[in-house]
Amino acid sequence: MRNRPDRLRALNVPQRVEVELDERGVPAFVKPKTGNGKRIESIGETWRIDDEWWRRPISRRHVEAILERGKRVVLFEDLMTAEWWMQMPT
Amino acid sequence: MARNHLTSSSAVCCWIPLFALRCEAARRPELGSRPSALVAPDDTRRVWQVSPLARHAGVKPGMTVSQAIGLCHTLLLCEADPVYYDEQFARLLSALGAVSPVIEAPELGRVFVGTDGLEGLYGGPERIADAIKCGVRSAECGISMQARSPRHSPENSAFRTPHSALRVGWGMGKFVSWVAATRAKPGGAVIVRPGEEGKFLAAQPLAVLPLDPDTHRRLRLLGLRTIGDLAALPEEAVVSQLGRAGRRLWRLAAGETAERVVGREAPEPITAAIAYFSPVAERELLAHALEQLIERALRHPRRAGWRVQVVRARAELEHGASWLAEATLKDPSADRDRIAAPLKTRLEQAPPTGAVERLAVEFTGFAPGTTELQLFARDARAAARAGRRRALRTAVHEIKLRLKRPMLYHVIAVQPWSRIPERRYALIDYEP
Repeated sequence: MRNRPDRLRALNVPQRVEVELDERGVPAFVKPKTGNGKRIESIGETWRIDDEWWRRPISRRHVEAILERGKRVVLFEDLMTAEWWMQMPT
Repeated sequence: MARNHLTSSSAVCCWIPLFALRCEAARRPELGSRPSALVAPDDTRRVWQVSPLARHAGVKPGMTVSQAIGLCHTLLLCEADPVYYDEQFARLLSALGAVSPVIEAPELGRVFVGTDGLEGLYGGPERIADAIKCGVRSAECGISMQARSPRHSPENSAFRTPHSALRVGWGMGKFVSWVAATRAKPGGAVIVRPGEEGKFLAAQPLAVLPLDPDTHRRLRLLGLRTIGDLAALPEEAVVSQLGRAGRRLWRLAAGETAERVVGREAPEPITAAIAYFSPVAERELLAHALEQLIERALRHPRRAGWRVQVVRARAELEHGASWLAEATLKDPSADRDRIAAPLKTRLEQAPPTGAVERLAVEFTGFAPGTTELQLFARDARAAARAGRRRALRTAVHEIKLRLKRPMLYHVIAVQPWSRIPERRYALIDYEP
């Protein structure tokens, strides 16, 4: 099924992560399902997306984060499931 | 190997000399009264087709443009529009397809029509030739009527190569029918009945044989002027001079071989489909997807040499519903935008009733064109693109062989405006 020529593969699919929050509720440490966790150096913008209430509601809280060693990622909390996900910034 | 049943030993050759120039004159009437010529599509420094008035002034095909203007100051030079000539020729082929299913088009302006078994429908060879002329004429009239409608600009629908230009030859095999067509008067027909080939061919000049210039010169140096002169020589003597090509030439000259007209069966339907990972309802996106799918289906190898006449778009919708739009093109086309236009109109007027999960485009009806024509219609940039595509195809094939699975993908914009990042772009297998 994966290799069907007419099958689209989404790009920038979010990756499930575990996030530790500080006392203000801001992400301080992120750990992917595989690999080592990383400390978050700084937090950039934060924003919220609420969409598709008519189908399967999407509600996310996004946080732009700089990890230790300088990698920039976007973390978001799925407010429907309380799970954290990581994505490349666009 | 499956045997091709679309062959015929008796043939009609339909020939419209200077087809491209006549197409140009049909949409630009001023060309009719002045010496004119077309510039070669592959070399814009040279003249390609030359009108009789220009030829009278000494202009010949292959001359450089500066030579031609030097000989004829009033010469009207036109840039060639190969795609347009190709389209006009496809219409002619469509009209002939209504008379016989066996159609072979070796070059622009020349078509062989297989006539085996048509006697029962039309009568003898004269009647068959009349039916063919009539078919071509009615196709011209039909399209002229369309040209009057505001939806068709005259430029787009001018299949008006005057039927008086059509020459028809009937004979056993392609060669005899071709020579007969070259002997026919404009708008007329020459019939060569079985058994009369030798007598008919004997008086014809050598130039009607499929000869390269070097062989033609050699034969003339040997004192041969007519096909009869060649046929009078022993076959082995010609073979010893010209090799295998000589045997074919001698047999054609002696009327001992009749090359059959070979038609092609219309291909099986061609389908291209796309499955969305999240259902899509935006019409703009669906219209864009239709164009992409049509382009993909057009690239299918089975489509080569055929134009699309019937196209269908099918969509599987959320909750199990479906949507279908079908269009029959009056003018069969291999152009994406022309094929997409009626489907997009349907999409606007009667859109799917829900979000689309899977969209498919299917070509179900085809009209003949020829591979040669498509090659002819390509301009230099298209040829370069084709070269790059060929190189890519080879590279992809090698990668598949080494890695056992395709590893090359296209990035396509799915919903670039979406607020959800993973919905914006996607990968699809790269098929050059």
